[in-house]
Amino acid sequence: MDSQLSDLLDLLDDADGEAVGTSIRIPASLRRAAALATEVGLVPSTSEVAVQGLRDVLEARAQRAILDAHYAAHPEARPDLGETALAAAELDDHPLAGRADLIRRAAREVRAIKDDPTPDDVLLFAAGLAADAA
Amino acid sequence: MRARTVILDNEAVQALRDPRHRKHRRVLAKIEVVASRNLRAAGSVRLVVPTTVRVEAGWDRRSPGAAIINRLRVHDSALDTGAADAAARVRASLGVSAADGHIAAVLGASAAPHTVVTSDIEDMRRLAGQLGLEITAARV
Repeated sequence: MDSQLSDLLDLLDDADGEAVGTSIRIPASLRRAAALATEVGLVPSTSEVAVQGLRDVLEARAQRAILDAHYAAHPEARPDLGETALAAAELDDHPLAGRADLIRRAAREVRAIKDDPTPDDVLLFAAGLAADAA
Repeated sequence: MRARTVILDNEAVQALRDPRHRKHRRVLAKIEVVASRNLRAAGSVRLVVPTTVRVEAGWDRRSPGAAIINRLRVHDSALDTGAADAAARVRASLGVSAADGHIAAVLGASAAPHTVVTSDIEDMRRLAGQLGLEITAARV
């Protein structure tokens, strides 16, 4: 694993540590909206929301980078689009979760019409195939 | 329904830890879904492991063999006082294992909808049903 990624992960693991002040430029209207949202109790505080949002984005990017690093070391472990779409169906208890054949077909066909499709794109396409067939 | 909290059970942890495990790729496919959704909507899905499940699965975060799974942003749900009380109640009333009791406690304390990635689909559905909780049980 890249040492900078490793450092990033260590820092994320320790992200509840000492808090420091920082200066971030944000649109004035967004700052006012955040202040108002805090005032009426929609969010706990601007800082808390900003920290959580930043943490969530960094965690998501890190999660992606870790998976890619793992596949670089273990290429055989990388699931294909059909497998991830089937996994999405299973995670959601999707009505097509038992239709692995249809989901694999959708994964093959959706690539022809969409760049970099997600597992959820495949499930949507598979639902269309199922509706067509009905 | 799209899961907001994905809980890993014992065999899911074991499969994830070991690239030679026959279900490693299958569990990674589920992690891929979580990663894909979080990239599009940061923080939309949280991967969680109850610490009692970690004990059962032998996952020591300080072990060099756990390097990959440690880094995958699977968050510990600790067996603190509140969780221990909840887990103990479930264990006493339903006669389930300590790990399943802890899973029940996590179900009650984390954001729904929940999916449990498990090899004991029926046990998990029964556990949730007895507690009046709606979950998805996804096979490892």
